[in-house]
Amino acid sequence: MGLVTYLIRAVPQLFFAGRSFPEAFERYLRYLSYALIASIVSTTLFLAGRRFEAAAAPHRALALAVAVLVASRTGQPLLGMLVGTLLAQTLPWLSAAW
Amino acid sequence: MISSPPFREGVKAAVPIWIAYISTSFTLGIAAKAYGLHLGEIVFMSASVFAAPAQFAALEPLASGKPALQIFLITFLINLRFLVMSAAIAPYFGRRKRSALLLSSHLISISTFILPYVHFQKQSNELAETESIEERARNNFHYFLGLAVSSFSVWVVGTGVGYWAALHVPSGFEEGLKFMLPGYFACILTAELRGKSALLIGMTSFLAAVPGALLNADWGWLITALAIGTLGWGMEEWIQRESR
Repeated sequence: MGLVTYLIRAVPQLFFAGRSFPEAFERYLRYLSYALIASIVSTTLFLAGRRFEAAAAPHRALALAVAVLVASRTGQPLLGMLVGTLLAQTLPWLSAAW
Repeated sequence: MISSPPFREGVKAAVPIWIAYISTSFTLGIAAKAYGLHLGEIVFMSASVFAAPAQFAALEPLASGKPALQIFLITFLINLRFLVMSAAIAPYFGRRKRSALLLSSHLISISTFILPYVHFQKQSNELAETESIEERARNNFHYFLGLAVSSFSVWVVGTGVGYWAALHVPSGFEEGLKFMLPGYFACILTAELRGKSALLIGMTSFLAAVPGALLNADWGWLITALAIGTLGWGMEEWIQRESR
């Protein structure tokens, strides 16, 4: 991991200094990372190994929706994550107590 | 060099980055503990990779023993944007020694790129009469090092402290710990997604990843994400060309 990342950073310092890449290429790289990150969020949240965690999925989905909403409204990702974490932790307790 | 004014100026400019890094690295440390990594492993990863999205992304595949090729590919694709950043910032450093450039390139991240890059661009229009171009390049390099070295240190130490904090979380809080990593990722992504195409790509990838992973546990989600990213970008390019 470290080596791959290092090569991506170091090669331009030696060979591509000052070269500007086409805007379309930069956009493509950005879109690829968006798609990868969104997929990681989804699989990390709803899968345990190869199994879909159906029982926990509604709580986690709701916590995620609230977290994203808080983050986008306040512009503070950390606050969104904290609110979401609190919900994810308490929702199963609340539904069990119901 | 450490006592040079540009280096100190860089350290001062890095304070907002430190604040952002403290929370992110702390979360990374906690997530690493939740995924069963050792303290040494996550601290080493922070020092050798120094890239939050790729590190977060690698936690789950590492913990679940996914193929090394997959981890390599994820890291490569997520970090490919450093190629553009590294090429853009290099000319501002002038003719520095290759060894110095090779060492400092490890410190390029999104935050440590944006701040110095904007600073250098502003300065390039106002070259002081007493300062030669080469002198300016050396000062730029010292400024970058001040900013990047201090941010890097905060990142690595923050990861270790986060891991240590996670050791003291009592049992019964697994659900909250499991949520932290994807939750933080989603919140950061929300702030970054601009434009309908980006939003559509993000949403579609989010929805399609689980079915993709259920079809093929090792490669399904990755191939799905690559296909959606490429398709979304291709469609946007095509629409833009047609509307011209």
